[in-house]
Amino acid sequence: MNVLIVEDEKSLANEIASFLKSENFLCDFAFTGNDASEKIAVNLYDFILLDLGLPDYNGLDLIDEAKKAGNEASIIIITARGAVEDKVKGLDLGADDYLAKPFALVELLSRINAVARRKFNVVSQDVVLGDFFMKVQSRKLICGEKEVDLTKKEFDLLQYLVLNHNKVLTRQQLYEHIWGNILDDQYDSNFIDVHIKNLRKKLNYHAPSPWLETVRGVGYRVSIA
Amino acid sequence: MIRLKSKLALFNLLSKLVFTSLFLILLPSIIERINLRQVDNDLIRKREKTISLIEKVGIEPFINTDTSDAFGSYNILKEEFISLERSDAEGELNQIEVSNRIIEDEEITYRVLNYTLIVDGQKYLLEIGKSITSIQNAKKNISRIILAFLVFIILATLITDLQYTRIILNPLKKITNKLKEISSPSKFDMTPVKTNTSDFAGLDNALRDLMIQIDESFRKEKEITVNISHELMTPISVLRSKLENILLQNDIDSETANKIEESLKTLHRLQSLVNSLLLIARIESHQYLRDDTFSIQNLLGEIINELIPLADDKEVNLTAEFISDYMIKKANRSLVFSMFYNVVNNAVKNTDRGGKIIVSGNVVHGRFRVIITDTGKGMNETQLSTLFSRFKTRNVQDENGTGIGLAISKSIADFHKIEVSVSSEIEKGTIFTFIFPENS
Repeated sequence: MNVLIVEDEKSLANEIASFLKSENFLCDFAFTGNDASEKIAVNLYDFILLDLGLPDYNGLDLIDEAKKAGNEASIIIITARGAVEDKVKGLDLGADDYLAKPFALVELLSRINAVARRKFNVVSQDVVLGDFFMKVQSRKLICGEKEVDLTKKEFDLLQYLVLNHNKVLTRQQLYEHIWGNILDDQYDSNFIDVHIKNLRKKLNYHAPSPWLETVRGVGYRVSIA
Repeated sequence: MIRLKSKLALFNLLSKLVFTSLFLILLPSIIERINLRQVDNDLIRKREKTISLIEKVGIEPFINTDTSDAFGSYNILKEEFISLERSDAEGELNQIEVSNRIIEDEEITYRVLNYTLIVDGQKYLLEIGKSITSIQNAKKNISRIILAFLVFIILATLITDLQYTRIILNPLKKITNKLKEISSPSKFDMTPVKTNTSDFAGLDNALRDLMIQIDESFRKEKEITVNISHELMTPISVLRSKLENILLQNDIDSETANKIEESLKTLHRLQSLVNSLLLIARIESHQYLRDDTFSIQNLLGEIINELIPLADDKEVNLTAEFISDYMIKKANRSLVFSMFYNVVNNAVKNTDRGGKIIVSGNVVHGRFRVIITDTGKGMNETQLSTLFSRFKTRNVQDENGTGIGLAISKSIADFHKIEVSVSSEIEKGTIFTFIFPENS
């Protein structure tokens, strides 16, 4: 998929690009609003990652331009201006999602994937995890004939790890995904540990779960061969 | 507190009462005087008439020296009388007085003119009397009529006064209503209030100018906040992405991974610090709306659900005890959520294994209060006094908190005019009390 990264901070744009490339995206850059405006008019993209705080352009105008030009790219706003009005305005203008800086790269990826699934009506694939079977649509985890009784938070946690399988997710990344930013200050690494502990207890009651790994000093990982 | 309109009407009423009662007290005696003067003039006229009659016909027709010493005459209704008698008294009389006379067993009050008349060297006392009972009756009647009239006047003017002051004070009412309704200066209704009273127009103008000024300074503050957040968040964002990318490489050893994760943690602390400061700045410059209505029971239930896994893990008993549910109005739900969340989370952190945390809520004197009690470590006086200051952490060993959570709770409470009080005892526990304003 083609992604245009509109971001005046070059080193951030580069980091995003190097991450997305490793996920098999094709990346293009625009470091100024004018540059972006031109590229949007000329090229076809699947995604535009749009920084609102451009020095020469109001990022919101770019959304307008893209929509008026009939560009079918999905737009994800990435901005450090944390104001709620910006978010509302951006989504009203037709942006598909909104991510406040600083964000986790894996979170960006999961937002892109979610938008893509919505756009192309992709039905999420069910996942096999050792002796377990995750029904993504109906939000159920099955072991043999029995359903594992998970809380909403536990399922969300597991699903996020599964979505980013084979990657180590830090506690902070997990926390941010599930609890958002509102409780940011009260972020407590213990929180994730407690939930993972409970999750593991429930899993192991049904069957062993070696695929849910603790990576010492870093975080957690779901390994799928 | 009394409404201005009632005060004005009350003052009007009182001043009218004073003046009219003064009038009422004085009027009868004034009328009496006027009437008496008239009667006196009448009596003097009659005296002159009698004297001229006596001069014309002599004293004999009245007093026959042989048969009688006195002459007296009443008219039928005893309204008036005249008497003439021989007098040997010293001196000469010429006076008018009030005296009671008994005539045919009936006591009548007369105004009597006494006059010493000298005819042929003999002194005579002339008395001419006129009943003033009618005057006294008239005085009573007039008093009654006046009283009734005044009561009517007072009532009528009271009603018209009330109506009139209501009408002329209407613009003032509109202005105060405008002020009451707004939750932020930008919400102030800038359309001028219709009035031809220059004072109100002036007040309205002054308020409008003031609101524009406040709004402007809020706007500037907001702008600064946005700029700071952009300036700080961008470098943090760059660092974070770089570190995350390194961590995602497959070939790094666990020691490096560890260090990277620690750097990420530190970076996150910086991030949440900036976020918290921005949050407080935004709250204090009133950048949040207060227009949610929500059930407090639901909100506290959510918080408890969030924190129960953590409490269970520590074997801390976290429970809600609700006496009544309450709808919170004109508040920002997510801010109120954070306010309570921070406090309950703090309680969980500071309560040891086997401890207890109780969240309870009820209405006292029309105001809803939430009480959060824990059996935790407690605090001493010094810790209590700096509890809500920024960066003074209760628990030094706590790596994650920036020590700003309770400061955030406090500014959210202030923003919503919620009163917060804390009492604590070392090794016994802490009690947080939140009292919502009356109208919320």
